[in-house]
Amino acid sequence: MTKLGAIFWLGLVLVSGFTTFKVKYAVQDIDDALTRVRKQTIVEQQEIRVLKAEWTYLNQPERLAEMNRHHLQLAPMTVRQLQHRIDDIPWRTLSAGPDLLLAASPVPAAPPARAAPVQLVKATPGSLDALIAQIAQAR
Amino acid sequence: MMLAAQRLDENPCRPRHFRPPPCAPVVTDERQAALIETCRARLVATAAVFAVVFLVVALRLAGIVVLSSGPAEAQAGRSRPAAPPPPARADIVDRNGKLLATTLNSPSLYADPRQILDPDEATRAIVSVLPHLSPAEIHAKLTSGKSFVWIKRRLTPRQQYAINRLGIPGLQFDNEERRVYPYGDLASHVVGFCGIDNNGLAGVERALDSTVKAGPGPIQLSLDARVQFVLHEELARVIAEFSAKGGAGIIMDVRTGEIVAMVSLPDFDPNHPTATDPRLSAADAKERIFNKITLGVYEMGSVFKIFNTAMALDYGVTSMTKGYDAARPIKIGRFTIDDFHGKHRWLSTPEIFMYSSNIGSARMAVDAGAERQRNFLGRLGFLQPATIELDEVAKPHYPKVWREINVMTIAYGHGISVSPLHVVTAVAAVVNGGVLYRPTLRKMQPGSAPIGQQVMSPKTSENMRKLMRSVVEFGTAKFAAAPGYVVGGKTGTAEKNSGGRYQEKKLLSSFVGVFPMHDPKYAILTLVDEPKGTKQSHGYATAGWTVVPATSRIIQRIGPILGVQPVDEASPAVTRALTIESMQGKRI
Repeated sequence: MTKLGAIFWLGLVLVSGFTTFKVKYAVQDIDDALTRVRKQTIVEQQEIRVLKAEWTYLNQPERLAEMNRHHLQLAPMTVRQLQHRIDDIPWRTLSAGPDLLLAASPVPAAPPARAAPVQLVKATPGSLDALIAQIAQAR
Repeated sequence: MMLAAQRLDENPCRPRHFRPPPCAPVVTDERQAALIETCRARLVATAAVFAVVFLVVALRLAGIVVLSSGPAEAQAGRSRPAAPPPPARADIVDRNGKLLATTLNSPSLYADPRQILDPDEATRAIVSVLPHLSPAEIHAKLTSGKSFVWIKRRLTPRQQYAINRLGIPGLQFDNEERRVYPYGDLASHVVGFCGIDNNGLAGVERALDSTVKAGPGPIQLSLDARVQFVLHEELARVIAEFSAKGGAGIIMDVRTGEIVAMVSLPDFDPNHPTATDPRLSAADAKERIFNKITLGVYEMGSVFKIFNTAMALDYGVTSMTKGYDAARPIKIGRFTIDDFHGKHRWLSTPEIFMYSSNIGSARMAVDAGAERQRNFLGRLGFLQPATIELDEVAKPHYPKVWREINVMTIAYGHGISVSPLHVVTAVAAVVNGGVLYRPTLRKMQPGSAPIGQQVMSPKTSENMRKLMRSVVEFGTAKFAAAPGYVVGGKTGTAEKNSGGRYQEKKLLSSFVGVFPMHDPKYAILTLVDEPKGTKQSHGYATAGWTVVPATSRIIQRIGPILGVQPVDEASPAVTRALTIESMQGKRI
């Protein structure tokens, strides 16, 4: 009986000792990982600061205006383009007159709508006739 | 007997020195038995305590390992988040959160020449990345035999990456903090700049130095970078067009005193404030850092008639129907006061203002008297330096003894020099119902109301709105009209005084505008220094030809940005608010 008890307690000591160390090492690993992630976070946050500054630099109004001149040629908004209030915008009538917004914009708002796309076919004798027929159909 | 001895020997309570005599007769008596019983009881108790403790440890371990969610784990997530050490100076942002100033870690490159294996190769590699460094200098540094030499201070992140990629042993980085102004010269006079030791030397950086150093959060200014850009661009255009020496502009929210834009040209790049352009003299570099809006004091000319007329109306000296004879110039001492756009007849108060009559204004001021004029100007803040979040503020110049001649000239803005900031602050009070707000560069927190001081009656303010509108409708500032924005204002073209003499060819043309006039939201002051007439302006360099058209363009561009709703200028609501009854039906 005493022997059995001793074995039980010894076993318990061994098991608890083992698990204690296991848990300790596991915690240490997690702690190391946390420290690593924290360090990485700090590095990333500092990079974000740099990127924010760079983004602001790239968005200098002067530069945007220059890029607009180069690529878009958008004109400043004029009073004519500003409707007064949402209630002041008339409902679309069925006999639609000229589009107010389109007429007011300094450049065409959208390119004219294209005709239905033409399917390309391999050039064979007679394919030209088929193509002409297709175009005629699309119209 | 043997058994008894053995039993005695097995007794754990037996003292160590006690050995039973080999063959002595064992006498078991009552006393001994009781002693053994006590020992056993103690043993059991101790063992039980140990068992309990071990069980507790085991159970706790089992709990942590198997169940794995205890109060400890819940606490783990609550540890404070990782944050880099706060920079030495907080960011400065505009009213929409755009970065105006930030602090970045900027690595500096240094070398330990004793560790460099091949100085020739290293020099070549460094110069390939930093081409503006002189190879001879680098080579000399790398062969100096010292243990520390700076190669280049303040690298960009890209340069640091490139140097790292070279993989030269002996090259090291040292992190230093550096103030960066991503918008460059856009708001240079407002934001200011820092020295190499990160101390604010100008602008908000200097005036709010302790706040910038203390706070982690960004400091939000009332400035709007987009409006600032429009003002900057249009002013630069006027200066180029009329070959002016410089110019300045300021836009203020008349309902709060917040400054939305402040430009003084020529300006500088706060990233390199002391970098001297070889084409410029030292005086020019100084001129660039000079903030004309707050530090410059000028005789504003006819713009001052706004305050003169408001004073006369507020004290009841004159009314919208009364007037003065402006047929002949006033002669006082060796001075003659005459009109630029002379009508040579009796003029009503609205006409005096509209046609900018010096004679009428002077007579109005004399009627009010020196005491009241001085008091009124003092109430509007013209006699003290302006209070604003900048250290670069100037003291206004005004006569010590307020004689009649001073009263007359101050009426049309001569003999008193104030900063443009003074003027725009006072104009805001004149049009917003008579409440003077402290000008500020910091954004008003939502929900907080600005503290103002009533400096004139709301009725005076209403009359002044009508008068300022009439200047744009019929008077000297017709080019300021911006359809839909109901602009009003007053022009001023002052001859610059140098060495006690007024010089006809050296003008300071200014315009202060307010929009929309029937419900004022923003006041805008623009001025150009020494503009020269062009062919398009028929040789004129007066305000009406220079800053007035520019103001119209500025208002049309910033109106949508500031969310000012354009209105129909002929609508009854607008005309009712701005029509001068006494002028109706008259030929203007």
